Amino acid sequence: MTARLERMNLDRIVPILNILAVTMIIISLLVNFFYAPTETTMGNVQRIFYFHVGAAWVAAVGFFVALISGIAYLRKPANIWDTIAVASVEIGLVFTSMTIVSGSVWGRPAWNTWWIWSPRLTSITVLWLVYVAYFMLRGAVEDEDKRGRFAAVYVVAAFVTVIITFFSIRLLRDIHPVLFGEASEAAQGLQKFDGLASTKMVISLNISVLTFTVLFLAWLANRLRLQRLVDKVTDLKSQFMARYQG
Amino acid sequence: MSEGNTVVSRDKSAGVERDTAQEKISYFSSVWAIVWKDLTTERHTRQLIGVMLVFALTAVVVFNFALFGNLSAAREAATGFLWVTILLAGTLGLNRSLISEQENRSMEAILISPVERSAIYLGKVISVTLFTLIMEFALVPIFIVLFNKPFWRPPVLAVLVLGTIGYVAAGVLVTSMSVQTKAREVLLPVLLLPLTLPSVLAAAQVTAALTAPVPASWNEIQFAVALVVAFDIFMLTAGFLTYNYVIED
Repeated sequence: MTARLERMNLDRIVPILNILAVTMIIISLLVNFFYAPTETTMGNVQRIFYFHVGAAWVAAVGFFVALISGIAYLRKPANIWDTIAVASVEIGLVFTSMTIVSGSVWGRPAWNTWWIWSPRLTSITVLWLVYVAYFMLRGAVEDEDKRGRFAAVYVVAAFVTVIITFFSIRLLRDIHPVLFGEASEAAQGLQKFDGLASTKMVISLNISVLTFTVLFLAWLANRLRLQRLVDKVTDLKSQFMARYQG
Repeated sequence: MSEGNTVVSRDKSAGVERDTAQEKISYFSSVWAIVWKDLTTERHTRQLIGVMLVFALTAVVVFNFALFGNLSAAREAATGFLWVTILLAGTLGLNRSLISEQENRSMEAILISPVERSAIYLGKVISVTLFTLIMEFALVPIFIVLFNKPFWRPPVLAVLVLGTIGYVAAGVLVTSMSVQTKAREVLLPVLLLPLTLPSVLAAAQVTAALTAPVPASWNEIQFAVALVVAFDIFMLTAGFLTYNYVIED
């Protein structure tokens, strides 16, 4: 698995994924604005929702991939796992920011405020901070092997926060709606939401989530290719130095 | 011949049993040895708990500045103050406990000794939890006097213990890493506070509900308590499994 990942021909995969991602984004935008019906209570504002859920989904996938590659790195310390973990956390962090911003734009008309310290919003902010700190930790370790190990251990611990975020909305009384599954009895009451009233909405949401998943893969491939180029340049530099200095 | 074989094999199996029994004893005794070492050091130096407690008192005074002596606002915010104080004093304790291991090179000595890495982790978690709890139980009467809230109720104290375990479990893991970086003690709050906030927020919510004039019923708080307990278990497991990668040399 590790060796196959290291040999993977990214120069061929990257353009294909890029084209696929752009095409799907266009389709998904068209679906979002023309196919999906206008929601009754929220009106057109509800269309943010497809973007919001898609971004949140990619963030969760990114952090999960980071967890898996962190564990893989601890089992077998190969650079490729560290690179995948960094790339996934980077992407996850960008999409967490998008989720927060799009949620805030939605919150203004829905709750009449940009921000409210509800459990879900608090925990997503905490989540954002946790993964920003990941880069602080990486920046503070000079030794490459140690950096990889520490980052992997941290990513495993950080995922506990992801899990708690996921459950916090089901456990605590919150203003944020629950989309998948049921909220626990104690948490119900504040969360009336019928954003998925029609089949067309469900289809639009699924297309959006699929698009964002492809976008994630495209970003990941681009990031891995970038890292490979960086490694190559470092390698060439040291070869050059060795040749003309010694 | 065959009889001889069975005798040999029986002897072997008995030997194996004895070995595992010895390992079990030595695992727990090594955890205990780490705890005992920390307690003894603290008894002689009195560095940790004293600093934590004085810092906590200073923090309470600083918080009162923010409220301009508004007593009802202070009462509202008392639970938050308590937990923020514990968090900040906790980072002091964690840093002190693990940096002194490095400065005195005692961590190197521990690593040379035939002790499992996870045993070092558990020992450290237990000793730092004990120190933090001593600080908390000294802090609680002060909070009762200053804010006139019933922090003495047994469920409140239980929540303090549960919240502290998770906080320290994450703390020992993260501090062991941060003290080995070039940023050292500066890095710890940035790493640890966000990591433990979900559990601490839930614990603070429960504390607030339990110290209200009409304390909350079990049904109202059980989910938040479950969250704190789940965090404790996850963090202890994560630390237990990954600690050998943190202090590998």
